[in-house]
Amino acid sequence: MATPAAQLRASTPLPRTRAQISLHRVLGPDYRLGYLFVLPMAILVLALVAYPFGYAIYLSMTKKYVGVPPVWVGLDNYIKLTWDGFFRRAVVNSFVFTFGSVAVKLVLGIAMALVLSSRIRWRSFWTGVLLIPWVAPTVVSALNFLWIYDYSLGVLNYLLVRVFRLLPHGIGWLSEPGTAMGSVIAVNIWRGFPFFGISFLAGMKAIPGELYEAAAVDGAGALQRFFRVTLPGLKNILIIVTLLSTIWTFNDFQIVYILTKGGPGGATQVLPVFTYEIAFGAQRLGEAIAVALYMLPALAAVIIVLARYMRRGQRT
Amino acid sequence: MSRALARRLPDVTAYAFLAVLVVLVVFPFYWMTITALKSETQMRSLTSMFWPDPLVIDNFRHLLRQTDFGAWFKNSVTVAVTSTLLATAIGTVGAYGLARLRFRGRAFMSSAVLITYLVPPSILFIPLYAQIRNLGLADSLAGLIAAYPSFTVPFVTWLLMGYFESIPEELEEAAMIDGASRFGAFARIVLPLAAPGVLAAGLYAFTQAWNEFLYALVFITDVKLRTLPVGLSSFITGDVYGWGFLMAGAVLTTLPVIAAYIYLQKYMVEGLTAGSVKG
Repeated sequence: MATPAAQLRASTPLPRTRAQISLHRVLGPDYRLGYLFVLPMAILVLALVAYPFGYAIYLSMTKKYVGVPPVWVGLDNYIKLTWDGFFRRAVVNSFVFTFGSVAVKLVLGIAMALVLSSRIRWRSFWTGVLLIPWVAPTVVSALNFLWIYDYSLGVLNYLLVRVFRLLPHGIGWLSEPGTAMGSVIAVNIWRGFPFFGISFLAGMKAIPGELYEAAAVDGAGALQRFFRVTLPGLKNILIIVTLLSTIWTFNDFQIVYILTKGGPGGATQVLPVFTYEIAFGAQRLGEAIAVALYMLPALAAVIIVLARYMRRGQRT
Repeated sequence: MSRALARRLPDVTAYAFLAVLVVLVVFPFYWMTITALKSETQMRSLTSMFWPDPLVIDNFRHLLRQTDFGAWFKNSVTVAVTSTLLATAIGTVGAYGLARLRFRGRAFMSSAVLITYLVPPSILFIPLYAQIRNLGLADSLAGLIAAYPSFTVPFVTWLLMGYFESIPEELEEAAMIDGASRFGAFARIVLPLAAPGVLAAGLYAFTQAWNEFLYALVFITDVKLRTLPVGLSSFITGDVYGWGFLMAGAVLTTLPVIAAYIYLQKYMVEGLTAGSVKG
């Protein structure tokens, strides 16, 4: 364990008290600089994440209105939510939104990685272009699509009705219950698939070329090489990226809030927007936090699995 | 099918797929830009849909003169730059500590940072709002500057931990044998080598802070103190309503991020793939 540098330190003939030496032994050879370097971050994590998180759990068990002290009610908020029709609908919508979006992002991401790893010209240029939705401000993307989906002046209806003549008349993409969910999912896919693509591309580059050569020598076709070499080689990244995106998508507030605010008639009401409306529309903070935390056990399970995979990834 | 064609087929499919993806990705930005340059009358008449005719800058003029866009832009710059500098500094030393220094609690802290990175803002925004209010920072840019490190610091730290681990430890050991202190080895040897990674991490932190919406929406009520994302989106509910100047605002909001990205694309792509996901 002891590196040459650490040995050197331990054997420096500088006067050093017993207490100091034993502190080194208990807290580790670099404890001083180590704690100094990590301290700001530790304070931050405690103050901005751990404390608010603990406070959130407490508040979710109270009746709390803005500007009024909380009143303890135990698990009441959670029990009430369990039988609340609006809440249940938001849960179902959240799952539809998340799984619909993640599944398509996964497929598009693989397509993007395959295209960018094939023999095309200006590969790095195209990689840069395809990453733009990921770096562009989400608010801009959401507003762009709000405008594209516009019923009377939007370009989507213009293309479908006037240019390609696929529809007799336009569709209110975001104002009709039948199309609203699909339309907001499409925007989330559009914004998120480049992250899948770029991650898979990096993963593919790490697969040794010899594996492909060996497979080709054994007579494997392109499809077989994809299923037998590429996909197994991407397994870890596939799991990490899918779980990461599941967390992000499940908690996406901005796209839905800007495009529909959960409408029409609750058709796109997802949990984060629902939380916001109860907190700042209805001013019922305790209940709102209970909405946000209701899925915590599931979220925690995903986070623990994901963290394990990510740490393993970083070690190798 | 001829043999030459069969050999060419994968290339043709790749280009076809690429073309579809590029059109899907680029079109919304093209549409945003030409909308910003169209006149109100042209937009309402549905003529010359895909090119502004006449090409006008009225929308930009209206945006800068008759709305609070300028103030929002300044607020966004203030918040994003300050919180990025803060996050990059804290994250860089923290990441080095966790990646290289040996001390008790290091493994626990690494896990804590990773889990923090994964906890979504939609869970934290209400208690954070309560806390910011208690500190008397509600409705101020300082409140946002204080809150944004909650997501930028874990991200920067996580990204740079991978980066520091990829720098050979022997370099530092050699420097310390030559008499450098632990801190000196970090400051003079490791930090310069890690500069591209720090730059990439900083840029991502900037992008995240520039794009942040939920906290800015909740913490700020004063119209003049809004940041760009919330300000822009308020155009769709406000009484001044027009796609032309809304898209002009969207163009100006996108520009700083895209400019930084084009200039530093190489670092950012590498940074993203090196740190956040490595399999």
